[in-house]
Amino acid sequence: MKLFQIYNRISLFTVVIIILITGIVYYYTISAILTYQIDKDLVVEENEVFDYVKLNHKLPQVFRSTDQQIYFRHANNEVVERRYINTDFKDVKDNENESGRGLISSVIVNNQNYEVRIIESKVETEDLIWIIFLITIALIVLIIATLFIINRVLIKKLWKPFYGTLEQVKQFNLTDKDTITLAGSKIDEFDELNNAVTSMSLRVKDDYKNLKHFIDNASHELLTPVAVINSKLDILIQTNDFNERQSELLGDLYETVSKLTRLNKAILLLSKIENNLITDDAQYVNIKRHIESSLNLFQELFINKNITLKTDLGDAIVMMSKSLLEVLINNLLSNAIRHNNYGGELIVSLNKYHLQIKNTGSETALDSKQIFQRFNKSAQSEGTGLGLTLVQQICTNYNFTLTYTFESPFHIFTITF
Amino acid sequence: MKLLIVEDEPGLRDSIREYFTEEGNICEIAANYETAYQKVSVYRYDCIILDITLPNGNGLDIIMTLKANRHPDGVLIISAKNSLDDRLLGLNLGADDYLTKPFHLAELRARLMAITRRKSFDGHQSVVFNEIKMDLAAKAVTVNNVPVKFTRKEYALMLYFIANKEKVISKNAIAEHLWGDEIDVADNFDFIYSHIKNVRKKLIDAGCNDYIHAVYGMGYKFGE
Repeated sequence: MKLFQIYNRISLFTVVIIILITGIVYYYTISAILTYQIDKDLVVEENEVFDYVKLNHKLPQVFRSTDQQIYFRHANNEVVERRYINTDFKDVKDNENESGRGLISSVIVNNQNYEVRIIESKVETEDLIWIIFLITIALIVLIIATLFIINRVLIKKLWKPFYGTLEQVKQFNLTDKDTITLAGSKIDEFDELNNAVTSMSLRVKDDYKNLKHFIDNASHELLTPVAVINSKLDILIQTNDFNERQSELLGDLYETVSKLTRLNKAILLLSKIENNLITDDAQYVNIKRHIESSLNLFQELFINKNITLKTDLGDAIVMMSKSLLEVLINNLLSNAIRHNNYGGELIVSLNKYHLQIKNTGSETALDSKQIFQRFNKSAQSEGTGLGLTLVQQICTNYNFTLTYTFESPFHIFTITF
Repeated sequence: MKLLIVEDEPGLRDSIREYFTEEGNICEIAANYETAYQKVSVYRYDCIILDITLPNGNGLDIIMTLKANRHPDGVLIISAKNSLDDRLLGLNLGADDYLTKPFHLAELRARLMAITRRKSFDGHQSVVFNEIKMDLAAKAVTVNNVPVKFTRKEYALMLYFIANKEKVISKNAIAEHLWGDEIDVADNFDFIYSHIKNVRKKLIDAGCNDYIHAVYGMGYKFGE
């Protein structure tokens, strides 16, 4: 539920309750005031009766007006208690019962005890209360309508900067070069939010940059000790005849060092590509030629694994860095060979729009979400685990799309230019 | 051959010196910019192995000094920086080659031999090892003056062996030399084995001595 929906609900509920309470308070206050007024009128009337009796020693003539009636009754010896009552008022004209207010009193005329009943109509009071009720309802309706309009128009407008900020935050990408830029709003809270978001994004980017620098430097600094190990190994194998066991160990060491080197170089390259630091000028290159030379380079590997190679190469000229194109093609091809079966198949097709590399291999599809992740590799793979990440990063840099599909028995990697 | 090794990392410097120290070679070393600068100002070398990131200075300045004085010394840059920019900058300044760390000493040696060969203007456009002669211009090999047909990779392998004669060369060094280090399929060395088998067979068929010796588990040695 949206914030202002909740807010509206609460405010609407509160306002309606308050108006209702006000209405009730009004009702009771006004009816109390009016009753007090009527009661005063009744006392005036009572006094008139008393005065008349005192003067004339007889009861006044009973007359009935539209809003006041007086009755006299012979009370004999009963004691008439003076009191106010709520009673009916018989409208003479319409012959209707209306609510009324009465005063019961007593008067002695010629030693005769009489009960005096004076009744006044309360119909005007009720009309007034009815009007108050209508005004209250109208107020409630008006407030709901106003809130609705405010909701629709004003609040949408008020929250606009917030949604702008939200959109920017959603699109925030750590590896992007551009930072979040937020326009100032007229609302302090949103400005504060924008400032916080902007400074947070800058800080995060800064941290990320530092981290990357660290990784870069670490990888870079590692190269020198690796170079020393490598050279010492080269010297070591010159020294003497080794027995089989020692030779095997040395061979393993060589392989590990070379893996370490490749890994290091891949990390450095990846970070360079991610940071767009490949300054090797982009130029128009024909992918076909590069694929041909890569296939040529790999030919021993095909023969070695007895892989049948089928090619369907058209010209495809793209604007990109030559060295990155080489990384791209070599990684895809070496994967297609490394993960191929003995006696398997490799199909490379290229046209203006896309490059497709299909190879046989494991029987089941790879997880297309996982394979482009760093260091995601099959248990038996000897690679660095960065090959496909590199390929994807290069594709991203040049706005190519890279997809993986599995159509038994082929694993298919497609790059659309 | 007279060499100057300019490298601040003692481990690497000693390894290079040891690998190149043999009869007929003089290896001098410089561990920092000042020493290197003093040496190249006074002495001439066939080739300078130059690390460009040095304490107190940039190796590139040494190249500029050499070129400004028109000294003919060959320069081979070794650097941990692997960006095209550095490479181009170094080569444009007049370095003869650029090798990225880490490298195999055999690779360094092959590159260095190529530089000194290019630098020698006495028409030595060939490499000779006993009865084997490699014509670098024509990329042709003869054994006892009889041509032997080699594929491109076999030729490269042969040249690599001769540059590193009497040294044990690891399989990794050979794989990286032939296929480049970007290609990490070197975990399968079978194809090196078959290449070497072919080269050996062609040489022996041409009446050449068997100079290629397998060193169990590690690699190969070319020599008497």
